[in-house]
Amino acid sequence: MADVQLRQIAKSFGSVEVIPGLDLDIPDGSFTVLVGPSGCGKSTLLRIISGLERPTGGNVSIGGRDVTRDEPSKRGISMVFQSYALYPHMTVAQNIDFGLRLAKTPADERERRVAEAARILHLESLLDRKPAELSGGQRQRVAIGRSIVREPGVFLFDEPLSNLDAALRTQMRIELAQLHERFDATMVYVTHDQVEAMTLADQIVVMNGGSIEQVGAPMELYERPRTEFVATFIGSPKMNLLPARAVGRSDARNAGVRPEHIRLDKNGGDWLAEVVVVENLGSDTVVYLESEDFGPLTVRVAGHQSLASRARVWLTPEPEHVHLFDADGVRLP
Amino acid sequence: MSTIPESFPERVGRTLRDGRFTAVILLLPPALVLFSLFVIVPLAESGRYAFFDWNGYGEPADWVGFENFERMFGHSVFHQAIWNTIKLVLVSLLVQMPLALALALMIYRKTPTNAVFRLIFFLPFILAEIAAGLIWSFVFDGNYGVAAGITHAFGGEPYFVLGDRTWAFVAIMTVIVWKYFGFHMMIYIAALQGVPQDLVEAAKIEGAKTLDVVRHVQIPLIKPAIMVSAFFAIIGALQVFDVIIPLTNGGPSNSTQTVVTYLYTFGLSRLKIGFGSAVGIVLFLAAVLIAVFYQRFSNRAVSR
Amino acid sequence: MMKGGLARELLRLSVLCIVAAFVLGPLVATALGGFKSNLEIRTNPMGLPASWELTHYLGIIRDPSFWSYLGNSLVISLLTVFLTLLVGAAAAYVFAQIRFFGSRLLFSYLLLGLMFPFATAILPLFLKVRDLGILDTYWAVILPQTAFGLSLAILLFRTFFEQLPRELFEAAYVDGCGYVRFFFRFTLPLSTPILATVGTFVFVQSWNNFLLPLVVLNSREAFTWPLGMMQFRGEYMTAWNLVLAFVTLTILPAIVFFLAAQKYIVAGLTGGAVKG
Ligand SMILES: Nc1ncnc2c1ncn2[C@@H]1O[C@H](COP(=O)(O)OP(=O)(O)OP(=O)(O)O)[C@@H](O)[C@H]1O
Ligand SMILES: [Mg+2]
Repeated sequence: MADVQLRQIAKSFGSVEVIPGLDLDIPDGSFTVLVGPSGCGKSTLLRIISGLERPTGGNVSIGGRDVTRDEPSKRGISMVFQSYALYPHMTVAQNIDFGLRLAKTPADERERRVAEAARILHLESLLDRKPAELSGGQRQRVAIGRSIVREPGVFLFDEPLSNLDAALRTQMRIELAQLHERFDATMVYVTHDQVEAMTLADQIVVMNGGSIEQVGAPMELYERPRTEFVATFIGSPKMNLLPARAVGRSDARNAGVRPEHIRLDKNGGDWLAEVVVVENLGSDTVVYLESEDFGPLTVRVAGHQSLASRARVWLTPEPEHVHLFDADGVRLP
Repeated sequence: MSTIPESFPERVGRTLRDGRFTAVILLLPPALVLFSLFVIVPLAESGRYAFFDWNGYGEPADWVGFENFERMFGHSVFHQAIWNTIKLVLVSLLVQMPLALALALMIYRKTPTNAVFRLIFFLPFILAEIAAGLIWSFVFDGNYGVAAGITHAFGGEPYFVLGDRTWAFVAIMTVIVWKYFGFHMMIYIAALQGVPQDLVEAAKIEGAKTLDVVRHVQIPLIKPAIMVSAFFAIIGALQVFDVIIPLTNGGPSNSTQTVVTYLYTFGLSRLKIGFGSAVGIVLFLAAVLIAVFYQRFSNRAVSR
Repeated sequence: MMKGGLARELLRLSVLCIVAAFVLGPLVATALGGFKSNLEIRTNPMGLPASWELTHYLGIIRDPSFWSYLGNSLVISLLTVFLTLLVGAAAAYVFAQIRFFGSRLLFSYLLLGLMFPFATAILPLFLKVRDLGILDTYWAVILPQTAFGLSLAILLFRTFFEQLPRELFEAAYVDGCGYVRFFFRFTLPLSTPILATVGTFVFVQSWNNFLLPLVVLNSREAFTWPLGMMQFRGEYMTAWNLVLAFVTLTILPAIVFFLAAQKYIVAGLTGGAVKG
């Protein structure tokens, strides 16, 4: 088991600077999720930890050991790729076994570990198949099996579930959470999926343009986003951003209120707005509105709500859930 | 940055450790050595020997300047060889390629009958040139062969087309077309199969006749393939050798020499290394010229 | 419309049959000629033989030198294929996988062979082979053939290797698999289509090669079949039936091979040519 420390990590591809210099601590045994918009450098950062990419500056330590110059195979890590990268000409068993063979693990030990991984991941009946004969979810399991037999201190995942359909994704998400519990290993996980990030992580790292915006537990990011960027990035539907005067504040520039923290009333309230579209999700209803003063707004109300399009309604934010940001987009306490 | 970027020795060390260096050192040299030793060095030596009169023993010592080239360019047989090569190019472009294109249009669709015809037409291409030459020398044999059978049936005198100065090369060109049209046809078929079928159908719906579709849709779209096949026809014409040997061996009275048979007859078989190298250099320059010309031409066609 | 379509189809088929007859006629006449007496060849060169004489074919099949020619050709062709695939794929792998100083230059250098015909440097090549002391050995044919085949092989291999998913290498690399091992354990086994295509191309070229063996092989023991065939033709100038039987027996393996591996042969010969 191992923690990961990144110090002053920088990365440029030629003259293009992708990561300008970044520090990050990933505690031992944590499930750390990297999120951020496309192209912000999540994969690059993960690949720097794995050793597939060399940083142009800074150090990587794993388990207290500086591994910046070490080969990937010497870092005590394993990696699961988005495309799984299964070896097409090898059977499932050979795929899982390959890394152990290269590490010259004794045969009986290898056999034991492969059997163990197959049992955990329900792959026993598939061990003699080739990857082409597997379903998407099964391939995903093999890829995970390949990484767990090496008993790494750190697991690295780059959007491992993005090629699966919604139902499988939910199932695999639960299995990943169980795996994390079982191995108690450090996991670093890149995803685009809000739900994956919120449910799996005990630490979320929000990245933007190669820098870290905020690091924290999921609920911390949700409740106390440090910047406007984090505020709008975490949570779905997105947080509403309005001029601070909407909540009667002149010491801030913008005020943010999540759609679920706005009450909707037909008779009276703070802001008047016109209904544009109503989306009924069953458990709750998302209402998109247009306010003459503050532009578009989104509100989420529990249960089923019938509202006519173009109807005029009153909105009132919950005062304890209003976030304020200064001119630099940084949170005011 | 807090750490200094990797220093040069460090980088070398890492390259050594991760096996990249070993891979380059282990996997690349065999190709480099073989290629240099048997392709590039001989070619360079050709360039040197061409200026000597040398029989291949000892060191070349008899520097003759451009004399080999002068002799070659003044040699009427060499003129004949060049002229024959040009004839081959013309026949390829004007007879063989249209024939191949017409046949390709007839059988490019994937049906079982078409597949059989495709196989038949491609068959001569995989046969050795030397065997093709021998087979056709039987066909043309005025005493025994198919030609004899024909003259015999009409009660004529035995006729040896391969011994006829005027017609021998026509016979050879027939063999060349027989041998290679299937190759060009296959290139066109591959290209035609790559033309999206909806384009053809769209044109048909607009009222285009089959011939219109061919002229205005299919041929323009397979132009790159036609250019490639023209390139191969020309480069191929420069190299004709094997077929000639069993058919005429360059005769009668050198009327069917090509550049390579000329090189063989007047350079190699007489061990005139200098003279033969000079012919080789001319052949090389012609090939390079054609390649460069082709590059220019196809680039322009593509960018248009 | 229907009627016009039918007429057109008939026209098409008759054109195709005429061309097929032009293609197959000489081949059939050759095969049949081997069964005829010399007299009959003269009077009836194209038709079926009046009586099928097996003696010419049998005589050649019983001739040990016939088998020695075929054997030499086979060994030379197989070794050429093996060497070209191994050496060419190894070099192409380096170009596809590893960027290093000068790699583009070396790549262009190795592609120079695409530019000019084999015959260009045949004289110095002959001297080189002679000076290496390998005249009259298999290597005299194998090594130059391999060298000349490398350019196309490397070009086609590199294109193919670059299309293998990059993540495959990365996954293996994280597993501790180095560059050289990856070549043997992954690149080669995953590239069988292109290996087969280039392999057939090289094989056919080598099997049919005439000029190079003609120049570097002098003793009958080392002759490949094209040389043997010319030798035979020289010895039996007027015995066409024997010569035709010989020709038939030598091109038969080529035809069988062609029918068995037509997919790769067509791809190799046209695709290879087009990309070259
Ligand atoms: N090998 C490379 N050469 C040049 N630029 C690269 C390379 N790899 C990545 N980049 C650039 O670095 C930036 C970060 O890429 P990265 O793949 O890390 O993004 P990401 O956050 O993983 O995005 P996504 O969510 O789309 O996967 C991008 O702008 C990308 O174009
Ligand atoms: Mg990514």
